Amino acid sequence: MVIVQNISKHFGKIEALKNISFEIGRGEIVGFLGKNGAGKTTLMRILTSYLPPTAGKVLIAGQDIEKNSLAIRRKIGYLPENPPFYQNMTVREYLKFAARLKDIPARDTRVRIDKVLDDCRLLYVQNRLIAHLSKGYKQRIGIAQAIIHEPEVLILDEPTSGLDPVQIQQVRNLIKDIEHKRTVLLSTHILPEIELIARRILIINRGELIRDQSLEGLLKQEGAATLEEVFLKLNPPQAQRIDD
Amino acid sequence: MTKTLAIAQKELSAYFKSPVAYIILVAIITVFNIFFYMIIDQNREATLRDVFAVMEFMFVFLVPLLTMRIFAEEKASGTMEFLMTTPTSNTSIVLGKYLGSFLFFSLLLGMTVVYYLVIEYFGQPDRWPIVTGFLGLWLEGGLFVAIGILTSSWTRSQVAAAITSYAILFLVYFSASFIPYVPETFVPVVRYISTLTHAANFSVGLITLADAVYYLSGIGLCLVLTRISVENRLW
Repeated sequence: MVIVQNISKHFGKIEALKNISFEIGRGEIVGFLGKNGAGKTTLMRILTSYLPPTAGKVLIAGQDIEKNSLAIRRKIGYLPENPPFYQNMTVREYLKFAARLKDIPARDTRVRIDKVLDDCRLLYVQNRLIAHLSKGYKQRIGIAQAIIHEPEVLILDEPTSGLDPVQIQQVRNLIKDIEHKRTVLLSTHILPEIELIARRILIINRGELIRDQSLEGLLKQEGAATLEEVFLKLNPPQAQRIDD
Repeated sequence: MTKTLAIAQKELSAYFKSPVAYIILVAIITVFNIFFYMIIDQNREATLRDVFAVMEFMFVFLVPLLTMRIFAEEKASGTMEFLMTTPTSNTSIVLGKYLGSFLFFSLLLGMTVVYYLVIEYFGQPDRWPIVTGFLGLWLEGGLFVAIGILTSSWTRSQVAAAITSYAILFLVYFSASFIPYVPETFVPVVRYISTLTHAANFSVGLITLADAVYYLSGIGLCLVLTRISVENRLW
């Protein structure tokens, strides 16, 4: 479903991604780990064709992302790290705008909007201005716009950041519901989170892909009980400098 | 096409969702009204030629305020990432945004048609120069809006976008004043660049191909450059 071949990305002299390759099959849920600045967001932006790679190729549903960018964008739902909104729109207006841009036929728009409002538990706030809603609602509006066109591939950049435990649970269930229907690639810092959702783990460090394994395989290989242990082992915390 | 309209509609309604639009409309129309009264009172002529000249001058100051947010705001707030990851072509984005701002400008200009009604009621104006005068202002506004959108696509700071478009608009508007300071060979070029040269023809009732080409090609050029800027993420 998603094939990444030797992707590199340079920002001036900085090498954000170095020769990354992997494949994700249909219906897989893949967790994407790495420290801040490891290159997770950059890779996600390349997959959504927001940024062009410096080198390498991305194929989604068999199509080259550079040649068929518009066709592929129709198949991708994307939740950016900081879900961007038009603050002066109501939730419904925003979803309607998203639906129009995502080629949803006018006659289906209402049904689709009602469905995602229901799925994301946004019905009560549908006519409120986005600017007035809390972070938890905004995150769910971000997910709603990502799934409104029923994309085959869902790319979620830290979908649970800034949410309270109840909201995290809701988002997790939402992602679980989508399982089997779609391919999901998500990044998060909350490791127990990813253990509950993802079947497969990609770990990225300083722009390099250092692990690509099933969750069970990874825990076994590293001799660890939790993902957190694996993560800390691969990214040892640097000795803290103590200033007195 | 439907997406271009969706974006145009969103831009147009964004103006009316902020108080800034109403403040600009009320302030600018008030200033126009005052000038209209003074000009008619002093000239005692049933013509809008001098009124058009004042309006044209005011648009140099006004239009950057209308266009500065168009791209800069989306880039600063991150909605550009949303927009550009939807299956919407860059051409639709640029055209939609242009159309939205241009419609708002057209609305503002449309409100000044009242001046024609006033002089028609009290005098016998020559109608043709008034029609062409409005057409000239409309085209000129279209060019100013295109310039404003182009500068907005260069930066994520609305203030920087506004200042850059002021710089370009002043150059274009006052270009004719530089004529004494440029070598002989460049004089026709400098005169051609000046919006005043072209607007002057419209306000006396002349529609020439050269003037129409000037405005339309200027608008086209700015929109193409904006598309390139969006395409290459020049910010």
